[in-house]
Amino acid sequence: MSRFSRRDFLITTAGAALASSMAGAALAGLETPKRGGTLIGTWGGFEPQSLFVPPGGGSSPYFTSTKVLERLIRLTVDLKFEPVLAVDIKPSADFKSYTIKLREGVTWHDGNPFTAEDVVFNAMQYWKPISAGVSLDTLESAEAVDPLTVVLKFKAPVPEFFLKSVLAGKSGLVIPKHIYAGSNIITNPINNTPVGTGPFKVKEWVRGSHVEYLRNEKYWNPGLPYLDRLVIRWWRDPASRAAAFEAGQLDIGTFNPIPMPDIGRLTSGGKFIAETKGYANSAWVTTIEFNQRRDIFKQREVRQALLQAIDRQFIADTVFFGRARPSLGAVHSSNAIFFTKDVQDYPFDVKKAGKALDAAGFPVKGGSRFKLSLVSAGWFEENIKIGQYVKQAFEDLDITVDLAVPDRATSLKRIYSDYDYDVAISNNSGSIELIPSTTQYYTTDGIVKGAAFRNATGYSNPKLDEIVAKMTVETDEPKRIALAKDFDRLATIEGPLLPMVDLEPVTIVRSDVRNHSATADFMGESWAELWLDR
Amino acid sequence: MLGLAIDFARRFARNRAALVGLLLVIVVIGVAVAAPWLFPRNPLRIVGRPEIWPFVNSRYPLGTDSLGRDIAAMIAYGARTTLLIGLCASLTATLIGITVGATAAYFGGWIDEMLMRFTELFQTIPNLIFVLTIVSILGQKIEYVTIAVGIVTWTPIARLTRAEFMALRDREFVQACRAMGMGNLRIMLGEILPNALPPVIVLSSLVIAGAVLFESAVSFLGLGDPNVSSWGRLIGDGRTLIRTSWYICAVPGLAIMLTVLALNLVGDGLNDALNPKLRDR
Repeated sequence: MSRFSRRDFLITTAGAALASSMAGAALAGLETPKRGGTLIGTWGGFEPQSLFVPPGGGSSPYFTSTKVLERLIRLTVDLKFEPVLAVDIKPSADFKSYTIKLREGVTWHDGNPFTAEDVVFNAMQYWKPISAGVSLDTLESAEAVDPLTVVLKFKAPVPEFFLKSVLAGKSGLVIPKHIYAGSNIITNPINNTPVGTGPFKVKEWVRGSHVEYLRNEKYWNPGLPYLDRLVIRWWRDPASRAAAFEAGQLDIGTFNPIPMPDIGRLTSGGKFIAETKGYANSAWVTTIEFNQRRDIFKQREVRQALLQAIDRQFIADTVFFGRARPSLGAVHSSNAIFFTKDVQDYPFDVKKAGKALDAAGFPVKGGSRFKLSLVSAGWFEENIKIGQYVKQAFEDLDITVDLAVPDRATSLKRIYSDYDYDVAISNNSGSIELIPSTTQYYTTDGIVKGAAFRNATGYSNPKLDEIVAKMTVETDEPKRIALAKDFDRLATIEGPLLPMVDLEPVTIVRSDVRNHSATADFMGESWAELWLDR
Repeated sequence: MLGLAIDFARRFARNRAALVGLLLVIVVIGVAVAAPWLFPRNPLRIVGRPEIWPFVNSRYPLGTDSLGRDIAAMIAYGARTTLLIGLCASLTATLIGITVGATAAYFGGWIDEMLMRFTELFQTIPNLIFVLTIVSILGQKIEYVTIAVGIVTWTPIARLTRAEFMALRDREFVQACRAMGMGNLRIMLGEILPNALPPVIVLSSLVIAGAVLFESAVSFLGLGDPNVSSWGRLIGDGRTLIRTSWYICAVPGLAIMLTVLALNLVGDGLNDALNPKLRDR
C-alpha cells in the first residue's frame, strides 16, 4: 500500500478504499513507522499572537508551542499518565510533597542539558506565578535534590490526580532556565522562537502564513520524531482549508478545520478520515457570559431568564450540524470523572423567561425591557452565527441588542482586558481536572485583568470559592468528586457564565498520516510519533 | 429650464445601455423602498429550515441561508443598506473632493502644493486596506463604514475638480466677476462650480458603484455591521457552504453585480448627456 501514488488511490476498488480508511490510529501499532517527510498541519482557528504565550493565551499558541516545549508527563486517551520528561512522580504519605525523577540525557535545543534546576525554576518562577495561577497556590518550595530529582513541597495536601493534571496540562510546559532566568518571562522576545526539549525546533515563523519546524536530531527519544519537517499553516476560513486538503496542500487539521457539511464529502472517498478521539482533555464549549459589572446582570434571576431564552438544541443542530450537544451544567458531558446530570437545567422557554424578567423588575417599556451589547468572539466562524441567533433570542424577549463580532485580537481585548461587553459569547477548552481550567471562570481568584480565558465576568461568590478551595486540598478521590459536583450545582444555579453547547470536535486527516489522536489532548501533543505512509 | 431638461433626457436616452442601467437602478431603489411592505419582519430573523434552495418553497422564493433566514428579505433590506452607503459615501467623497480640488486650483501657489501633496498621500495608500484600517479602528458600525469609504474615494474627485477649476479660473467671465468685486467664495461656488460640475457628477455616480463594492468587501471579510442586513455579509456568511449551497453566495453576488453594472451604465449615460462635446469620442 505504501507505493500507492495519488492516482492509484483514486482508482482503488471499494475493498482497498475500505482498508485504507481503517488505517490511521487503529492499525498504527501493527505497522513499522517510516521516517521522513513533511507534514502540513493546521487547526480550525487563526494564527497565534506569539508562538508561545507563557500565561496561556488560548489554543492557537498552545498548538504551536507544544511542538517545541514539553511537559513532565502526559495523559493518554484512556486517562492514564505517561512519562515524558519525568520518569516518575510520587507523592509522600501525607500528600504534602512530591518527588519527581527526571529523564536522563535530555538536552535543550541549544545544547544545554536539561536538569533539576530547570524544573525548580519552572515550578517557582513560571508555573506558580504565571501559568498555573491558583492551582499551585500552596506550593511552598521546589528543591533539586540531585541533578535528576526534584522535590516539590506544599503547605497543604495536594491530590495526586490534580497535581499530575496540572503537570500534564496546558500550564505545565517546561521552559529553559538558562534563557528565561532574570528576564520577564511573559515579554521575553524568545517566545516568538521558543527553545525547548521537544521533537521539533522552530526554523522560521512567516507571519500571516505559517511556522516551519525541523526535526530535532538530538531528541531524547531515539528514532523520534519520524517526520523531517513539520509545517503549521493558517487559513482564514474553513472552506479554503477544505480546498487545501483536496489540493494535497494539507495533511491534518485539528479542531473542526473544515465546514461541517464538507466532512461527509471529503471522507466518503476514503482519502481522508474524520477522527473524534483526542479531545478528552481539552473539552471545548461555547459559553455565554454575563458581565457582573452591570447592575442588571448582578441579579441571578435575570441571568437565569436569559439562559432560558436560548434554544441550545438549535445551536447544536443548525450551527454545528449536530457535532455539538446542549450543555448541562458547567462541566463538559465528555468528562468521565466529574460530569453530573444532577444540576439545574435551563430548558428553552421564552414565555417563562419573559415572566421571570417581569418579576425581576424589567417589564417591557416602550417596546423594550433594556438594551445590552452582545460581543460574540470572532475567532470561530460558528460564533458569527451563534451571535446572530442569540441576538434574535434576546430580541424575542423584547431586549434591544447591539451585536458585535470583532476579530480575534479585538475580541480578546473587549472580553478579557477591557471588560467592554454586557453579554459575551466565547469559547474555552477544559481539562478533565476541573481546577483550574473550569473553576477559574467562576472563582474570585480567576479575575485577572488582561489574562485571556479566565473569569471575565467579575463574578465573586465566597461560597463557591470555598468549595473550590476544599477541592484543592482533598486527597480522597470520592470526596473530591462529591465536592466537584457541589461546585457544578452551585455554578449552574448562579450562571454568571455557562456553557451553551458542548462541542464534539473532529480532526480531519489524510489516511496516510499514522499514529495520530492517541492522547487525551492530541492538539497539544508534540506530534513526535506521527509518521507518513507514503 | 424645461427645454434644458428635455434636451438632457434625450441625450441620456440616446445611450440605450444607460437606459437599461437606469431601469435596473430604479428597480433596486424600488425594492429598497418597498422592503418594509414586502417583508414586514426583521430580515435577520430565523424563519425556516436552514438551506432551503431557491424556487423550492414559495414562502422563501430565494431560499434560506445557513441559519434559516429568508434570503429574499435580506436582499431587499440589503438593497437599502447598499444604496444608503453608496449615496452617503459618494456625497461625503464629493464634498471633500470638491472642497479640496476647488480650493487648490482657485488659490494656487503653496495652498495648491500643500493640498495636492495631501491628496497624493491618500492616493498612495491601497484603498481597501485603508477602509479596513479605518473600520477596525472606529468599530463595526454602518456609519463608520460609510465614512471610511468616503474618506478613501475623494481623491479622484479632488483632482478632477482641480483640473476643471484651473481651466476656468482665468476665463473672461471669472475675471469680469473679479473686476466687479465679487468675493472669492461667491466666484467659486456661484460662477466656476456650476461650469465645472458636469464631469464631477459623472465621477460621483461612479463612486457610488465603487462604494457598493467597498461595503461588500468589508462585510465579506466580517468587518461589517452585524446588526444590519447587507449583501456582502450574506456572501461572507455563505462562503463556508459554497461547495454544497452555492446559491447563498450567488444570489447576493448577482445583486451586487447587477447594481454595480447598472450604476456604471448610468454613469456613462450621464457622461453623454452632460458632456455633449465628448459624445462622439
